[in-house]
Amino acid sequence: MNTLDYLLHGFGSALIWYNLIFAFVGVLIGTAVGVLPGIGPMSGVALLIPVTASITGGLPPEQAATSAIILLAGVYYGAMYGGSTTSILLNTPGESSSVVTTLDGYQMAKKGRAGSALSIAAIGSFVAGIVTLIALIVLAKPLSNLALKFGPAEYFSLMLLGLGAVSGLAGKSVTKALIMTVCGLLLATIGIDNVSGIGRFTFNIPWLYQGIEFLTIAVGLFALGEVFKTILEKEEEDTQMAKINNLIPSKEELKESAAPIARGSILGFFIGILPGAGATLASFFSYILEKKIAKDPSKFGTGAIAGVAAPESANNAASGGAMIPLLTLGIPGSGTTAILMGALMMYNVQPGPLLFEDHPQVAWGLIASMFIGNIMLLILNLPLVKVFAKIIQTPKRYLIPLIIAISIFGVYAVQVSVYDLLLLLGCGVIGYFLNKHDYPIAPLVLGLVLGPMVENNLRRALTIFNGDFGPFFTRPISLGFLIMTVLWLVIPVLMKMRGKNVVINEEG
Amino acid sequence: MDIKFDRIAAILFLTVGTLFIIGSRNIASSSYGSVVGPDIFPLFLGGLLVILSIRLFYETFSGKKQEKEKEKLQYMPFIIIFIATLVYILTLESVGYVITTFLFLFVCFQTMERGKWLTSLFISGGFSALVYFIFVEVLKGTLPGWPIWFN
Repeated sequence: MNTLDYLLHGFGSALIWYNLIFAFVGVLIGTAVGVLPGIGPMSGVALLIPVTASITGGLPPEQAATSAIILLAGVYYGAMYGGSTTSILLNTPGESSSVVTTLDGYQMAKKGRAGSALSIAAIGSFVAGIVTLIALIVLAKPLSNLALKFGPAEYFSLMLLGLGAVSGLAGKSVTKALIMTVCGLLLATIGIDNVSGIGRFTFNIPWLYQGIEFLTIAVGLFALGEVFKTILEKEEEDTQMAKINNLIPSKEELKESAAPIARGSILGFFIGILPGAGATLASFFSYILEKKIAKDPSKFGTGAIAGVAAPESANNAASGGAMIPLLTLGIPGSGTTAILMGALMMYNVQPGPLLFEDHPQVAWGLIASMFIGNIMLLILNLPLVKVFAKIIQTPKRYLIPLIIAISIFGVYAVQVSVYDLLLLLGCGVIGYFLNKHDYPIAPLVLGLVLGPMVENNLRRALTIFNGDFGPFFTRPISLGFLIMTVLWLVIPVLMKMRGKNVVINEEG
Repeated sequence: MDIKFDRIAAILFLTVGTLFIIGSRNIASSSYGSVVGPDIFPLFLGGLLVILSIRLFYETFSGKKQEKEKEKLQYMPFIIIFIATLVYILTLESVGYVITTFLFLFVCFQTMERGKWLTSLFISGGFSALVYFIFVEVLKGTLPGWPIWFN
């Protein structure tokens, strides 16, 4: 079968009625997550994993995995659409990836052009989504074929690259990010060792035998941590919303934003593929690029439409681009994709080069559903933007307790253990403190998800080479990955020493 | 950067790293048919964590002292909600989902903001009943429904 056949099969499974509903619910919740400041795509996806797991419980395993990932991915890219809404209307970005949109978006809204800013943001996101999907389809086969040639040594080095890249860009301090990565990897060693069957750090407590559940940690650190922050740091906010009038952009505005959308999509896509660099960086860089090549840079910051079109396309393209290393190599390049990967592994679906061979239904079903999801988002966002903007007025007094209740319900439904709930609560408190003191959480989750694979590949490689570490440095591909890892970690530090501002990738 | 927090954290991470090193020394060092045993990876990571935490501790000395902004933290609601969550978790299995969730939500709603008793009652009742109905009746999941002494 060629790619087109696979894609058609993918549409076959994406168009099953319940998968359409899953995609719709996913993008709907995603948009809401994007609009609400405080809940980012990471906590949104983490919070929904247990809920989807219980809903899909009745389906056969492969179909359950397809439906679940369709919904969860929908939340991820849906959030990219939603983030722009509040940036433009309220000057409060709903996501870190929409921070730059406030610069020109809010100015446009002030001048009474909120409608066109919103619609250009939605159109840009849509175009970017489709561009990256096509690139994903084209690149999926060759990349996974290439990855199939990797041995355990190459895989180990590639995973180190993924971990290193995320740590290098994750926070203000590389040391702190690395500490979090190592903590994640250490947490992953708890439980029965897969290779030898020996229990490690279990202290003969049966609850620890199966290891620390990634879901509990992720929901606790992200969702509950964020909730506790909102409770402790209560802010009085005034919600002065700009009026939306005339949603249809003029021909001139469309013409003006066509080129920025195209540039933003391509730039965002490539930044998205890079491990560690995500939607936030993509939107930031594309804004800088537009400002540099503009004929009149002074217009930026006063309501230039290119300043909305480019970053909004870029962040969406980056979220699509980030799916490529996840699906083809099995290496998540960001916190959110790490959580998606954890979700797939809960269904016993291992992302990576074999995904397209072993579970074509999951892989192509997801890709096809992203087409459908993007169309749904465009339709949803244009006429319903006023409704979504209302979500931000949801009183926190109801939202916060409900998030706690959903976290507890979700973790209990999957784990059926009070110990996990206690761990969840503990992680919430720890997550609040870590976040407050600039310890990035994404590397920890990435380490926790990748830990077993890093270790298994290391041990497999060392067994093949009879305990010799040399081949890691003599095999060219492996050496290349290792050099890139070192560069990724060292360059930001060097740049900081020279007093340059390093853009970091914050994910919420 | 809060230097005090970072120093305490560095010491904590140092302890964790050391404990992992000690812990992995107690794991059998070799497994049958493999050169590398299950102890190597955690041993190495523990060592790495120790080095990194020493580095973090060292960094706290060179870090610039920042003006401390006194933020007003809302301790009272946080403590109430934290305790409510703890009680909720611990009583979930014996008292059952519906009652505990209802009480938990109601307490939290009122802690966040006083007043509007009826709305609070309605939302907390509606949520707990709806989740229980959908999950247990429709999806056939497992949740402790009602107090154990009922059955």
